Amino acid sequence: MGSNKTSRGGGATASPCARLRAAYHDCFNRWYSEKFSKGQWDKEECVAEWDKYRACLAQHLEDKHLRRILLEAEDSPYFVKDDASSPADRDGTTHQ
Amino acid sequence: MVSAYTQEHLYHHPWDRVTTAAWRKFTDPDTAAVLSHNVDVHTLDRRLDPNSGCLQAVRSITVRSPPLPFLLRRILGQDAVVCHCVESTVVDARGRSIEIVVRNVSLRGLLEVEERSTYRPHPDRPDGWTAFRQETSIRCKPLSALATVAEKVEQRCAERFQKNSVKGREVVERIYKYLEAETAAAISC
Repeated sequence: MGSNKTSRGGGATASPCARLRAAYHDCFNRWYSEKFSKGQWDKEECVAEWDKYRACLAQHLEDKHLRRILLEAEDSPYFVKDDASSPADRDGTTHQ
Repeated sequence: MVSAYTQEHLYHHPWDRVTTAAWRKFTDPDTAAVLSHNVDVHTLDRRLDPNSGCLQAVRSITVRSPPLPFLLRRILGQDAVVCHCVESTVVDARGRSIEIVVRNVSLRGLLEVEERSTYRPHPDRPDGWTAFRQETSIRCKPLSALATVAEKVEQRCAERFQKNSVKGREVVERIYKYLEAETAAAISC
């Protein structure tokens, strides 16, 4: 328990992308709390941090088993798609 | 066989603050002390529609159990159980709603878990309270020779998820208090 207390931004200290992830998550948390959730949704921020983090993930997908997760996620009806339809519409079933 | 249950919780805090805390639930360094499992989170994708104020994000969540009891280590041949999940979130900033769906990726041959959560301003006090609702369904894949074992596994999983859900809510409350203290300190400086 607590073996990764020194890490920030989500876990494993051995992750090769840990610093970039922490930078992105910190930026995102700030933007979400100070701007997006309070009504300023018209401007995208943290793009530079996201691009660097994403590039690192793409490079290390094999190591982290994320390729499998990403492929599985892309098959999911809930995966983010460009048409931005709601999950309920894509799924075709309801949970009522 | 499906176990399904719904939980609701009322946060006496405004929606923007509660959802800010909720995003940080897995990545806060002190969470490791509260939730018994180690959690690794990666953001896989994110899209913002600046016209509608709609943010979508996909994250992978990897949960590693604490070291297993000796007997389970022998049976499974590994020291801990690792479970990968995918979380999809849609935030409507204009309408102030957030919907989060988490499904497991690994162990899907054995177990299908889906957890849908929503945070919305409470209708009685939309600027001050947030209503949280979570629907969880756990389906054990049928193993004809082990039907009763599957039922027991499902039940134990449901109990464990329920316990962790309660802890998750405590984490969100605690992070909210930390954010409030931060704000108060900034104002007084």
